[in-house]
Amino acid sequence: MIEMSAAIGVQPARTRRLGAGFWISIAWLALIVALAILAPYLPIKSPTSNFTGKGNAGPSKPPSMEHWFGTDRDARDVFARTLFGARVSLTVGFAAIASGMIVGGSLGMVAGYFRGWWDRVISFVFLVLLSFPALVLAIMLTALLDRNLLTISLILGVLAISPVGRLARASTLQYAEREFVTAARTLGATNRRIIVRELLPNVVIPMGALALLGMAVAIVAEAGLAFLGLSVEKGITWGGMIQLGSESSRNLEQAPWIALFPIGVLFSTVLALNFAGDRVRSLLDVKEISL
Amino acid sequence: MTHLQADTRREAGVLLEVEDLRTHFRTERGVVRAVDGVSFSVDRGDCLGIVGESGSGKTVLARSIMGLLPRTNTVTSGSVRFEGMEILGSSDKMMRSLWGREMSMVFQDPMTSLNPLMKIGKQIAEPLRLHLDMTRSDARDTAERLLNDVRIPGPSRCLDRFPYELSGGMRQRAMIAIALSCGPALLFADEPTTALDVTVQAQILDLIGEQRRDRSMSVILVTHDLGVVAGHTDHIAVMYGGKLVEKAPTRTLFARMKMPYTMSLLRSIPKLDDPSHTRLISIPGRPPDLVNPPVGCRFAPRCAYAQDRCRHEEPPLITAESSDHVYACWYPVGSPVFEARDAEVRAETSVVGHGNV
Amino acid sequence: MRYWFQRIAMAMALLLSVSALTFGAMNLLGDPLFNILGPVAGDTSNPESVKLIEQAKRQYNLDRALPVRYGMWLSDFVAGDMGVQFSTDGQPPVTDLIKERLPRSAMLLIIAQLMAILFSIPWALITAARSGKPLDRLSTISTFLLVALPNFALAVILKYVLGIKLGWFPLTFNAKDPFLSRLFQMVLPAITIALPAAAIYQRLLRTDLITTLQEDFILMARSKGVSRWRVLFRHSLRPSLFSFVTVVGLNTGAIIGGSIVVETVFRIPGLGSSLVEAVLREDFPVVLAIVMIVATTFVIINLLVDIGYSLIDPRVRQ
Repeated sequence: MIEMSAAIGVQPARTRRLGAGFWISIAWLALIVALAILAPYLPIKSPTSNFTGKGNAGPSKPPSMEHWFGTDRDARDVFARTLFGARVSLTVGFAAIASGMIVGGSLGMVAGYFRGWWDRVISFVFLVLLSFPALVLAIMLTALLDRNLLTISLILGVLAISPVGRLARASTLQYAEREFVTAARTLGATNRRIIVRELLPNVVIPMGALALLGMAVAIVAEAGLAFLGLSVEKGITWGGMIQLGSESSRNLEQAPWIALFPIGVLFSTVLALNFAGDRVRSLLDVKEISL
Repeated sequence: MTHLQADTRREAGVLLEVEDLRTHFRTERGVVRAVDGVSFSVDRGDCLGIVGESGSGKTVLARSIMGLLPRTNTVTSGSVRFEGMEILGSSDKMMRSLWGREMSMVFQDPMTSLNPLMKIGKQIAEPLRLHLDMTRSDARDTAERLLNDVRIPGPSRCLDRFPYELSGGMRQRAMIAIALSCGPALLFADEPTTALDVTVQAQILDLIGEQRRDRSMSVILVTHDLGVVAGHTDHIAVMYGGKLVEKAPTRTLFARMKMPYTMSLLRSIPKLDDPSHTRLISIPGRPPDLVNPPVGCRFAPRCAYAQDRCRHEEPPLITAESSDHVYACWYPVGSPVFEARDAEVRAETSVVGHGNV
Repeated sequence: MRYWFQRIAMAMALLLSVSALTFGAMNLLGDPLFNILGPVAGDTSNPESVKLIEQAKRQYNLDRALPVRYGMWLSDFVAGDMGVQFSTDGQPPVTDLIKERLPRSAMLLIIAQLMAILFSIPWALITAARSGKPLDRLSTISTFLLVALPNFALAVILKYVLGIKLGWFPLTFNAKDPFLSRLFQMVLPAITIALPAAAIYQRLLRTDLITTLQEDFILMARSKGVSRWRVLFRHSLRPSLFSFVTVVGLNTGAIIGGSIVVETVFRIPGLGSSLVEAVLREDFPVVLAIVMIVATTFVIINLLVDIGYSLIDPRVRQ
């Protein structure tokens, strides 16, 4: 039936394919991950050494053949530092979303399956967590704990518990009504068996679709914390580099590459995660959740 | 182009002339030929009923004439002359001087056709202020008078109500008030009663008829229900598969219909005085695919009287005994071939009976 | 009516839980004594430190059980006593800090949110009207980019481009300047916060507008001779605003987060930057107080959004 649009003709819906952009994003991500993993073994300059000397070495030197991304104020090689910074960002991003999904997902499934008091309590917990603006909660937690790779990952994971949990709960509620669950129950399956064998595979799909997007959020959050000086204490982080590069207006004016290169790499990575994640989400037709 | 002055005293004559109108939509499946060569005219003060099943193109026809279809992927050709002026393909800006002012439309479902967040009074006043430059208070008074004309009780209170506060029949009356507000020369009523209770339907149709006479307005009444057009129209045009298949003055049509399709439509109306448990007769099959319409007569696949010629050659519109009656059929009602076949058909229907589709 | 009571009761429960969680976290994660006194807490050899430790123990009732401490702290807090700022000379009360900085942050947030709303509505109207055309496609790409860019990166970039290279905006905030100058100094920071928010609002509003434009009553309005722009603005905007309003309210959390970063980049002495400073200086009463205030504000805003939603839609009122 032809739709009668009013003043504005409407374009048809997008096609359901992954598309070239998706694969480009995945390629970029694969590259970054590979470089991050291999960074200590690659023939690049050391990220912590100070390269004093003449010519293109020395503090705050612009990009050159010897130092592809230039040097920072302490004459360290920005390119190497960027690669090492990727290690922290990607690790935290992955660990945060993984732990968030495990905890949040489990809680959500329990709430959705058992309902009643379980549901009320768990949903309330989700709401309490959501009552804090995310960054504020993260900052508060960093104030209380030592700041290392593990704790930062867990703190950001806490941020993910509520959105992931609510999604898992909604999925579980949706699937628990279906007949294959009732069928399993009449065959004498225990609750645990039903949850693991019947519901979990179905819930994992929408959660997986959002994993890429979740990683993007986690990486941005970690970079934000690092920028404020609240991330992993002894590590090289993109956020930290950006902060150093933009600390004073004069720095920024005279040596913009110190901040802009890490910004560029961070942005491209997050963009790639967002794009790929968005494609997966629209392919699997999962509705957006606000993280 | 200034808008035409509203004449309360309308001269007789032709108001609307449609000639070989075609409206095609470009879609992924191909070109949908929703309206494929329709011609007719409407005199001032006349009421024309356009009848057809869903998918016959009647709604597209009405909106094509008014010019309300979206521009993208729509191709129209032919000619539409309103008060002597060609309007097909005119810009929106030009049409806006006519919309609401000289021609307006009453839509099928008043619940979705009225803005849910705007008070009734404001929706009526809008065209008044837009086209007739009325002040807010004048517009409000006029709106109240219009609500009275359409017989809504408590018109002044109704002005400040929202659509959801009114019943279906009242909403439709409000919509009619909106359509009539600037005194248009031509009113399109697109299935105005389909969304309403049966008891309310008659009231609405009577109201439209009454307003038509009071304002010397022409009405084009689009519907799938022959019963609706029977008592309220001067002429009837029957559409099928995007084409006009029969047109005649109302009485003539009912008395001497030619097209078997028209006859099937008439037969499918249940009659009050049929004995109980009489099966409902419906036309088997489905409307034609408008992307690839059948060669030959478009109704042939479903016509109980179809012959070989019907399936290969498209019948042209020819004039019947009276000059204002046209139809498109090789073997119309009353012809020898038809009568022969009819005997068989009657025998079939009385034994088997068609189920309700 | 009943709905409102339910929501208010829920908000109170949330506030209580938030305060309990915050206080509990502060006192359970790590040594409360350390949290209060800093490194001094472990220094039992120094008689001065020991005196401070004893004093702190008395002052903060550290011998009592946690729930009791919580109750006492909460009653103090609600009454307006938020403790003292440890790391500042003279240990002035935390409330002084709050009083000085809260208005500034509030002003920044309000300006940013207003900018975002005022910017997103026309943007959404235009892109909905020209949906699918080049302008709309360009807009979709730019919103995607804006939302993906971390806010501190955007702040740095804007500071560099608009502040340094082009010199359109001042780069620092001076608390002693007259009101209008201070307002102008907040423009660039506010833009930094407002742009990503506007992108989010615009995306949603555009989608809702496009959906509304498919409705029958829009065709009806056109058939009355109403112009395209009037149809957009007066007929389709209001029915499309419901999700918009909700998202604006919910996004306040992100805006608060954004303001923390922006205050740091542009060196605005507000609550956000004090929070970060307090964390770095381990000044826990300040951290506690600011987190409480922010979370409370957020809960109240969510509550208002819920109630406001039911007021906007006359249909929901029934």
